[in-house]
Amino acid sequence: MNQHQRYNIYLLTSLTAFISFRKRSGKKNQILPVLLLGILFTGIPFLLSAQTKEVVLTGRITDSKNNDPLAGVVVHIKGTTHQVLTDEKGDFKFITGQQVPLVYELSYVGFKSKEVSITNYDFTQISLDNNNKGLSEVVVVGYGTQRRSDVTGSIASVPKGLLSIPATSFDNLLQGGVSGVSVTQSSAQPGATSTIRIRGGNSITFGNDPLYVIDGFISYNNNAFSNSGAATGSKVSALATINPSDIESIEILKDASATAIYGSRGANGVVIVTTRRGKKGVDEINYSGYYGSQSASKKLSLLNGSQWASLVNDINLSDGVAKTYSDSAINSFGKGSDWQSAGLRTAPVQNHELSVSGGDEKSRYLISGNYYNQDGVVLNTNFIRYSGRLNYERNVSDNLKIGTNIYVSKSVQNGLAGAAITSISPASAWATLLQTVPIVPIKNPDGSYNTVNPYITTPTNPIQDITNTTNETNITRTLGNLYLEYKILNGLTLKVTGGVDLFNTKQNYYAPINTSGGYASGGFASVGTVAATSWLNENTLTYDHSIQEKHFFTILAGYTTQSQNDESAVASAQKFPNDLTSYNNLAYGATAVLPSSNSHSSTLNSFLGRISYSYLHKYNITISERADGASVLGSNNKWGYFPSVGVSWNASQEDFFKPISETVSNLKIRASAGQTGNSNVPPYSSLAALTPTNYYFNNTLVTGIAPVQLANPDLKWETTTQYDAGLDVSFFKSRISLIFDAYYKKTTDLLLNVPFPLYTGYASVLENVGSVENKGIEISLNADVIRSKDFIWHANIVFAKNENKILSLGKGTQNFTPTAPTGQQSPVIVQVGLPLGTFWGYSTNGLLTADDIAKGVPLLTGVPQKAGDRRYVALNGHTSVTSSDKHNLGSSQPKFTYGFSNTISYKGFDLSFLLQGSYGNKLFNQFEQIAEKPTLALNAAGTLANRWTVANPNGLNPRATNSPVPQVIDRYVEDASYLRLKNLTLGYNLPKEWLSKIHVKLFRVYVGAQNLFTITHYTGYDPEANYFDGDNTKQGIDFGVYPAVRTYLVGVNLAL
Amino acid sequence: MNKHIKYIVLSFILISSTFISCNKLVENPDSVIVSSQFYQTSSDAVAAVNAVYNTLNSDPLGDFPMYGRQLNLLTDNASDNQNFSPSNTNPDVRALSTVTYVSINGRILKNWQQHYFGINRANIAIDNIAAIPATAFPNPAQQTQLINEAKFIRALLYFNLVRLFGAVPLILHNPTSVDVSSLQIPRTPVDSVYGQIISDLKDATGLPATYTGANIGRASGGAAHTLLAKVYVTRKQWALAQTELQSIFSGGYGYALFANFKDVFQKATKNGIEHIFSVQYATNGGEANTTQYLSQSFNSFNTGTYPIDIPSDSSISALFDTTDTRKAVTFYTSQFNALNGQTIIYHNPYTPYFNKFVDYTLSPLNNQTISGINFPVLRYAEVLLLNAEVLNEINGAPTAEAYSAINQVRARAHVSDLTPGLGQSDFRDSVFLERRKEFIQEGQRWFDLVRQGGQVLVDALKVFPAKQAATLKDSLYPIPLTEIQLDPLLTQNPGW
Repeated sequence: MNQHQRYNIYLLTSLTAFISFRKRSGKKNQILPVLLLGILFTGIPFLLSAQTKEVVLTGRITDSKNNDPLAGVVVHIKGTTHQVLTDEKGDFKFITGQQVPLVYELSYVGFKSKEVSITNYDFTQISLDNNNKGLSEVVVVGYGTQRRSDVTGSIASVPKGLLSIPATSFDNLLQGGVSGVSVTQSSAQPGATSTIRIRGGNSITFGNDPLYVIDGFISYNNNAFSNSGAATGSKVSALATINPSDIESIEILKDASATAIYGSRGANGVVIVTTRRGKKGVDEINYSGYYGSQSASKKLSLLNGSQWASLVNDINLSDGVAKTYSDSAINSFGKGSDWQSAGLRTAPVQNHELSVSGGDEKSRYLISGNYYNQDGVVLNTNFIRYSGRLNYERNVSDNLKIGTNIYVSKSVQNGLAGAAITSISPASAWATLLQTVPIVPIKNPDGSYNTVNPYITTPTNPIQDITNTTNETNITRTLGNLYLEYKILNGLTLKVTGGVDLFNTKQNYYAPINTSGGYASGGFASVGTVAATSWLNENTLTYDHSIQEKHFFTILAGYTTQSQNDESAVASAQKFPNDLTSYNNLAYGATAVLPSSNSHSSTLNSFLGRISYSYLHKYNITISERADGASVLGSNNKWGYFPSVGVSWNASQEDFFKPISETVSNLKIRASAGQTGNSNVPPYSSLAALTPTNYYFNNTLVTGIAPVQLANPDLKWETTTQYDAGLDVSFFKSRISLIFDAYYKKTTDLLLNVPFPLYTGYASVLENVGSVENKGIEISLNADVIRSKDFIWHANIVFAKNENKILSLGKGTQNFTPTAPTGQQSPVIVQVGLPLGTFWGYSTNGLLTADDIAKGVPLLTGVPQKAGDRRYVALNGHTSVTSSDKHNLGSSQPKFTYGFSNTISYKGFDLSFLLQGSYGNKLFNQFEQIAEKPTLALNAAGTLANRWTVANPNGLNPRATNSPVPQVIDRYVEDASYLRLKNLTLGYNLPKEWLSKIHVKLFRVYVGAQNLFTITHYTGYDPEANYFDGDNTKQGIDFGVYPAVRTYLVGVNLAL
Repeated sequence: MNKHIKYIVLSFILISSTFISCNKLVENPDSVIVSSQFYQTSSDAVAAVNAVYNTLNSDPLGDFPMYGRQLNLLTDNASDNQNFSPSNTNPDVRALSTVTYVSINGRILKNWQQHYFGINRANIAIDNIAAIPATAFPNPAQQTQLINEAKFIRALLYFNLVRLFGAVPLILHNPTSVDVSSLQIPRTPVDSVYGQIISDLKDATGLPATYTGANIGRASGGAAHTLLAKVYVTRKQWALAQTELQSIFSGGYGYALFANFKDVFQKATKNGIEHIFSVQYATNGGEANTTQYLSQSFNSFNTGTYPIDIPSDSSISALFDTTDTRKAVTFYTSQFNALNGQTIIYHNPYTPYFNKFVDYTLSPLNNQTISGINFPVLRYAEVLLLNAEVLNEINGAPTAEAYSAINQVRARAHVSDLTPGLGQSDFRDSVFLERRKEFIQEGQRWFDLVRQGGQVLVDALKVFPAKQAATLKDSLYPIPLTEIQLDPLLTQNPGW
């Protein structure tokens, strides 16, 4: 074992120690992980090694255009294994046993390769020619890389500038930088899940999230793995377990030519994430960190004490009972308690990232550690992540390369508990707090929490509920792979990869007896685990061949297999003598709750193949096919086949193009067609599964077993057929480049729960019926607006428009209504001819007047209506308003989305900002709908202050009655178009001259702000809200779960 | 080094090929039992029948249970006894209470679904248990008994359906295909549905007379006779009904009235001498999908909020004589809050509130969703009242035995004997009035009104301002519209 290896092992052990470091010690010790990181890297300088010496060969390599030195050029002595890299001055030095004459082979990304014959030992000056940018660039594609010039598919990269934006999770970085990718967060709670759609949603019921390929490891983002069921409230995003600052690049594969190689999992697009790796020749230590302060960017308007008391009196009036409060009592309540403000805080967020990377002729490595700690703006919520990574690659010999990527992280989320104050309220402690009556004091005079609330049954206090309830999710994730690349022959490479994703969740929940969650049960504790394991083995053969530098072939063939298993268990107990053991010892609970456990396994076996052919890098064609066999599908349809073809033409390479090549530097036309699939159904969906149930005989629990679903051996893939036409054009030496795509996608054989006549004993059967189409255009514009020596302004504009339409839901079904939140009428409908996420309800037209009633305007049936009630609009020809008068109130699908990102640098300063927006999308403001329902027990929306009374006949809201039925009406379908300044950062790089004296390569300080402003008409917390994130049929419902956040931060980047 | 490379490469390939050979696409579920593996042993048979009982106190999707909420909405909220409270904002519930429901009413659909869900489980149990070799049962009688228990529940559910909806599809087997068109069938005539009910119940009369130990709560032969009597009464087949009632009296079942009416709805006295068949509830640790929802008749000490349902108006509690002990068991107007030692008095236009299913052993009182109060489906008081009714019909006037039957029920409630010498019609009215007072919230009233004719239902409902929308078409519920859409062979009831 040599010095190198010993240090690598030392680093790895330290890293593991660092990761196992737990948050237990509390907030005071936040500095400790940073210290640990420091200690961890003290051994680094020893890493550089020396070689034995014979003769010395030196030289310098420069850019032929401007004679700038080129650093990192690979200088290889032909016919040997000797190679070095140039340093920052462009200089290289061999100490070698080789004798002249010899030949240098020079290669450098973005430049033409060159061979230079050397006949003496003098210092050699060599210049390299710049390749036409954009043509030689290599892009990441499925199972390999490809010259950008030869690409036939639609592949977009997330702009580098956006990758450095501070974010909890990398999905937050996908928005605004790539056209056709939409990201909506389910809530602003730290670590919350989000919904990611590439070119709209294809599936109605199952799986619309893209496929993630992280350093070659394929994984669906299954947020179910972070939720055992023991904790309550919204789930934790599985993506948040990945450290975003490790990411070097993100590529989005959008069309079939690009995604079909992922076959049955490519239909929703593919996100290829590549993490940073070491570069040859340079050992570098990087530290970056930031500290920020977050606050709620908006508060909802609620009734104050006096307003609430007056509302109660009006309800009494409509009930025909005496007023509850005298006028003087109403005045004395004043503003009352501001529960909303009491539950909020200014919350810190910090991130520290330390990495060491480097390499020599044979090995490249990167070791990084990350500590991220974000407190939520709501009390007692936060998200902490510790992570470590080792990326290592070594050329064992000329034809064998091995490597590994190992990532380990631990994430802890303290989430808002999910208790609901009434049966129709959102299951969120925050909603409970918002609905708590303002005349109830928050604290007693002695400073303790007031638990006397005569308006609810349980003597609790929502702030105390939030602070005392433990609702914790711990996720340990290990994502690792090993790979081997073996050059069997010249041009023929075998790649074998073995990888594993170990996803372990432990959830802890404890609601003490003094909280609403534990009051009824005498203290309620629950623990749950999920252990999800995914194994992946991939074996590919790639053959690269060119004939006379005219015909370029790349042929890929492979076999892969992936198996997945998840096991979960939940145990709970109630009636605890005290809170001392919290969730840690269920045996102290007097009453056990029936435990549960579960397990699922699935397998996917695949054959894949791809042929890329290019003639002179002008005419390109890519043909791919993948065959997938999935265990989760019916026994008659295990295998599916997913072909694609893509062609492209680099028109600008033609001779006839030469005259205008000064203006149009590049023009490429692309077209592709292909099929991809989706089989994201849970295991055992096609089987006649039986379920356990309970009954009691003589007070004793007995188990019953009976079918829950019918077998469907014909269950098969959803198939998406996609056509794409694209244009890549750049002007003025690539100063401006434009990418335009138009696409059409049709998804057939949808996996739908086909409704069955209920008299069969089954509500539905999972079958392949129906179809959905998505069509749209995408424009991406990149411009170096200013490109001078000191002043650079780079701008990126993206625009996307997608139209979604349901074409069929199967024979005889025109629509279905997704299940509404408990006790509510569903605001959404899934209907043929309309887009998914369509809101369905009544139009209204102000309030009924006595005149209207006298005239006999149509009234809502089933509810007695009087003057001051809402005036519902009957459709043409209807004399009364019934549920048949519900109609399309708009959809949550935007007309278009856009992003505008800029990086501007002037001398040492840099400024970047990202504006992002969406137009034409609607949100159903369900929290407002509930909050505008007057009751005697809950607080209500501030808008109810302006209600109809005899004295205020022009009020906005109807007269107060006791708990009317909340109807789905146009009022709550709000325009949620918005324009948001997502990020603004101003940085300063300390001058290189100063830094070089202290051997520092880079020192940058910056200040930033996130969500500085949002322009929108939407009245809820956040126009990007999406409560039912995973459910494609219930997009765009805002159930008011967590306030939106604005952040200010300062940070530093340091490189040694 | 170089010579080792091929070994490295080879071993990688070897490991890969292990992966390849291991990964079969056939599913061997580890956490799920599949139909083909089950229905082999006697304990499988027992579990299959337990699952049939389960449909009575739960919902497959976690909704409210059939006996415990959903059936109550159709038979009590839609009757003259009961209304929705202002706290109940479910539009479907409000529509049932105000008799303004339409054929897409979600609660009507839910009842339809829950009944057929239970019927399907019974069908599966009956067919699959019959296919198990008799040798699999240690006790040969067990096989028949389990089948007959399932038949009893199937009959009970079809009896509800045929009274709620009229002719309904008579389904007796689990579907064998997922092709909807092969499953569509028209409605089966009422007489044929009753034919199946009667045949199932006749089989079920062979069930054990009583159970002991861990079997208490299963359907008994007495329950089958009682239900059969009720079926015959509904069909006005008085003589057949009388035979069934006689076999209950003479069959040695040992049924009697509780001395105290309160004991019908107590946890301590569940499955007692008066209970012939009850849907079982137990105060549990939160088992999935089991919620006694009627117990939430009390859910708050806050006088500003209301229970889910309320009586139609104060005239309902005024039906009871001052001496009637049933009144205090049926309604409450105050609750004792043990936490602060105060008694909260509820006084508003919606009081008194219903009380029968409130579980007073639970503390704190807001935890009523885990109430352990059974729902009595058949009890001896009903046998007596059916007997009074049948004798009055058969003999053209009340006999002494008829008087004795009704007076036993009245005496237990501390109400004086019924006026002697009533004519047939007056006596009939007295029996229905007695049934009304005896069975509030017990899923009887709407059936009793319809049994007397559609006009009686309409007249009874129109007494209340909230129920003015009642018409003759309301004597049958509409077939849920979505069912007709999925099966064009189904026809709608008249007037819908």
